[in-house]
Amino acid sequence: MTDFESIYKRYAPQIFRVCLGYTNDADQAKDMVQDTFISVWENLSNFRNQSQISTWIFRIATNRCLRALEVAKRMPSAELPLQLADMTEESPEEKLHFLYQSIAELPETERIIISLELEGLPQAEIAAIVGLSNGNIRVKIHRIKEKLAQKFKAYGQFS
Amino acid sequence: MDNLADLKAIWHTAKTESLPSPDEMLGMIKKFRRQKLRSKWLVILTSCMLTCLIIAVLLIVPFKFWTTYMGGGLMAASGVLLAVTNIRSLKRFYQLNDSNNLEFLAFIEQTRQNQIAYYKKMQVLIMSLTSIGLLFYLYEPSVEKPLWFIGIYTLAIAYLLIMWFWARPRYFKKHSAKLNATIQRLENLSNQLK
Repeated sequence: MTDFESIYKRYAPQIFRVCLGYTNDADQAKDMVQDTFISVWENLSNFRNQSQISTWIFRIATNRCLRALEVAKRMPSAELPLQLADMTEESPEEKLHFLYQSIAELPETERIIISLELEGLPQAEIAAIVGLSNGNIRVKIHRIKEKLAQKFKAYGQFS
Repeated sequence: MDNLADLKAIWHTAKTESLPSPDEMLGMIKKFRRQKLRSKWLVILTSCMLTCLIIAVLLIVPFKFWTTYMGGGLMAASGVLLAVTNIRSLKRFYQLNDSNNLEFLAFIEQTRQNQIAYYKKMQVLIMSLTSIGLLFYLYEPSVEKPLWFIGIYTLAIAYLLIMWFWARPRYFKKHSAKLNATIQRLENLSNQLK
């Protein structure tokens, strides 16, 4: 079967990006990655392949995000970085920063859904992770994408 | 322009090189494993040890008065109750393995409700058993010396009064505000998924 090291190598970067999407704080996201893999390590022998291993790991990670209640209170959610206003030629770092900032302004569960979508997970798997129907997830992703597109348009990121 | 493809491209530029290597992660896991449930394990172990100690003393020492056995028995029962409550709570956490976000939120919400029920019922029961047990238990060692009797019972009653009317309400007030805020937030999260 799968061993811990290969699972870690494959999923840690993905889990990190999803947690970063939720917290918008690299240190918090790293702590969540660690927390997630503690759970994975403890429960790997009990994992019965009832769901895909990726679904299982993303469920653990996103549940950790939802449980980190104190994180959300500290998270800047409505502020935009000042330098964005007079940005003309945006660097990849600035675009990334803006993307995470825009995601941070979304409600918590939408942050999880769009992070999983951007990570490239199939919508059926996102539905299994979140616990909603496929149709419901499709509608939600569509709405979140529109919200993000509006934010990017407002700041002239996309023409 | 396909916005999502652009967003995905930006999304994947996030740097992940600073993540620990698999070996470093395994080291951290071994160090911090079960740290979060450690306090519950400590309560379980301590209450089991105290209960065993009380029962052993009751069995070994030939006490004359039934009050001592009654007192010891009540305190031992409260110890068992405390251990059982914490074991049940731990069991719930260990059972929580492969649940989706919606089920997980329901679980956490239930846990918070259980905590409130604990403060309101189980804690009162455990504290009542210990308090009554303690008052019974102290009778035999102090009854033959009136001065000791007054001294010991004054101290014991003062201690119990402080625990019941100062420490417990203070603890409850501090925690219930926090718990209610958490429940509020969880309801908000569940509503987002409706």
